[in-house]
Amino acid sequence: MEQEAIIEAQGLVKRYGSFSAVNGVSFQVRRGEVFGLLGPNGAGKTTTMEMIEGLRKPDEGRALVAGFDTVTQLDRVKAVIGVQLQSTSLFDLLTVREITEMYASFYKKSVPVGPLLESVNLTEKAKDRVKHLSGGQKQRLAVALALVNDPVAVFLDEPTTGLDPQARRSLWEIVLRLKEQGKTIVLSTHYMDEAHVLCDRICLMDQGKVIALDTPEQLIYNLGADQTIEFQLPAFAEMERERQEQVRAVLRTVPAVTRVEERQEGFVLYAGDLQSALTGLVAAANENGLLLERLSTRTATLEDVFIQMTGRSLRE
Amino acid sequence: MSNWSAYRHLTMGQLRLFARNRQMLFFTMLFPILMMVGLGSLIGGGSSISLHGYVINEDGGAASGELAAALLAVESLGMEAADDRNAALEDLRNGDTQLVVIVPAGYGDAVSAGDAGIEVFYDEKNMTVSQLGVQMVSGVVDGVSKQITGYVPAVTVEASPVESLELRYIDFLVPGIVAMMIMSTNLNGVAGQISSWRERGVLRRMQSTTLSAGTFIAAQITARLVLNGLQAVIVLLIASLVFGTQVNGSWLLLLFYIVLGTLVFMSIGFIIAGTAKTPESAGPIAGLISFPLMFLGNVFFPVQDMPGFLQPLVQALPIVHLSDAMRSVMNAGAGLFELVTPTLVLLGWLVAAFALASRTFRWE
Repeated sequence: MEQEAIIEAQGLVKRYGSFSAVNGVSFQVRRGEVFGLLGPNGAGKTTTMEMIEGLRKPDEGRALVAGFDTVTQLDRVKAVIGVQLQSTSLFDLLTVREITEMYASFYKKSVPVGPLLESVNLTEKAKDRVKHLSGGQKQRLAVALALVNDPVAVFLDEPTTGLDPQARRSLWEIVLRLKEQGKTIVLSTHYMDEAHVLCDRICLMDQGKVIALDTPEQLIYNLGADQTIEFQLPAFAEMERERQEQVRAVLRTVPAVTRVEERQEGFVLYAGDLQSALTGLVAAANENGLLLERLSTRTATLEDVFIQMTGRSLRE
Repeated sequence: MSNWSAYRHLTMGQLRLFARNRQMLFFTMLFPILMMVGLGSLIGGGSSISLHGYVINEDGGAASGELAAALLAVESLGMEAADDRNAALEDLRNGDTQLVVIVPAGYGDAVSAGDAGIEVFYDEKNMTVSQLGVQMVSGVVDGVSKQITGYVPAVTVEASPVESLELRYIDFLVPGIVAMMIMSTNLNGVAGQISSWRERGVLRRMQSTTLSAGTFIAAQITARLVLNGLQAVIVLLIASLVFGTQVNGSWLLLLFYIVLGTLVFMSIGFIIAGTAKTPESAGPIAGLISFPLMFLGNVFFPVQDMPGFLQPLVQALPIVHLSDAMRSVMNAGAGLFELVTPTLVLLGWLVAAFALASRTFRWE
């Protein structure tokens, strides 16, 4: 590894009764990168983050932040991290400035409140009570509070969940600005587009385990085919089983297609060479008397990676 | 020092939350004040109560005649002259009259000697009415006494039974109301607020900072002491303006009990918040505890009036001793040495509850 690891998760396990919420998670986060934990709800992203933040004790394994153990040196860890929890509510009746100053007082070292609020575009709201903020503004305040102690590593747990598109973009800009400032950011999300836009590397999680860890580009490249063709065959559902098998075989043998998936919304073909695959598909459809409807092509996404690895969609 | 700064910010923050939560402030103050004004003017107030009593002059001298005439002259006392001591006392026992004032034989001579006394009998079951009577008699006697000697009191009222030398019902009620308010704002307030903060992740967010639990709790205590102190002062001021109640003892000692009571009931509130299975149940549990305590707690009527089998339970309750201590300070002007028992019981509760609260406190 060429860069220094600022966060290390080593075989983290967290059980609730007989259920393992996190089951042997290991990874390293490098200084200055945006590290994404991507996975569906219940994948263990939040539990993993909270073990690294020192909010939960791992049943097995350990986590280090800036070289400090999150169990035995918790106070040292807390001093160098900033945390935005998934569902924090703040004191509704205090103003933005009052809350920020209060959180600043919890640390030995803190940044000036004025410029901090400016950096998350909340200067004009400084005197407003939290109660009167919009969802996006509340979330930006939560991010500001995570930065109040000038942390080395910032943890953002699903920062854009429930926000409208505009508020999400505004938060993305803030995260990218933090990255420019050299902050290390660990971000969990179940939005693949968000992970793709923000993250240098992505740790794909499912059912408490890491199923893949790489840059977004590499994850998609590893699919072996980064183009997809999607379409529907309206008559397919009514066909006899034998005929359905025939159709599947036809699709599999379309030139340049590496993989065929049947989803609720239709078929997805993965291909490295889009043009050959498309021409081949249309020819095969004509030959076999198949009607292609709602045909579209796109570049493969992290969603496709997740589906390929788990057989399920991120949103499930 | 970040601890000090955090303590200051948290205390101020909590006080701001109190001040901005108008509804909470309104209702926590409204209930005690309504109770006080309602019960106070219904039972303990004053002007519309009619009295009846007998004056028995067993002396027959000039001085005794003068006193008897003065008593009979007070219209609101409703006094009637009588001769038979036993018949009058029988009427009192039957509830047909509320007061029997006897000017004993030898009164005249005693006045000359500067050492005179009269006897006042009253129905202790009907405390409010009879106490009012005793006070008025006392006033008349005081006046006569001053006439005789020129402002050196030579005649004193000997009221029996001495047990209830206390005053009006309102004087009994006000300290109880303050104690009840301390109990409910802290018990219900702490249990409700802390458990809701836990549920909403407010505490968890603070836990992820370098803030210590000790600093957080210290700030909570400080803010609540300020709130309770102010609430108590407001209730006492209203009581003083509307009903003319007074603090006969030391304000400092009264404050000491306000602080002690706040700490005891906050600790219990923290225990409830820490042990309730779900956050939603903490509030109702606190209510379930504080509601019966209001009636068992020496707040509205004396614990002596309660059935014997309840006494051991009642005598162990912190609210009983808090009411008792505050009442003794306010009414009888008692000092700390006369209040050893309630003080020790409250301190015992504080130590035990605080120990348990710090063991059960959870951020999440």
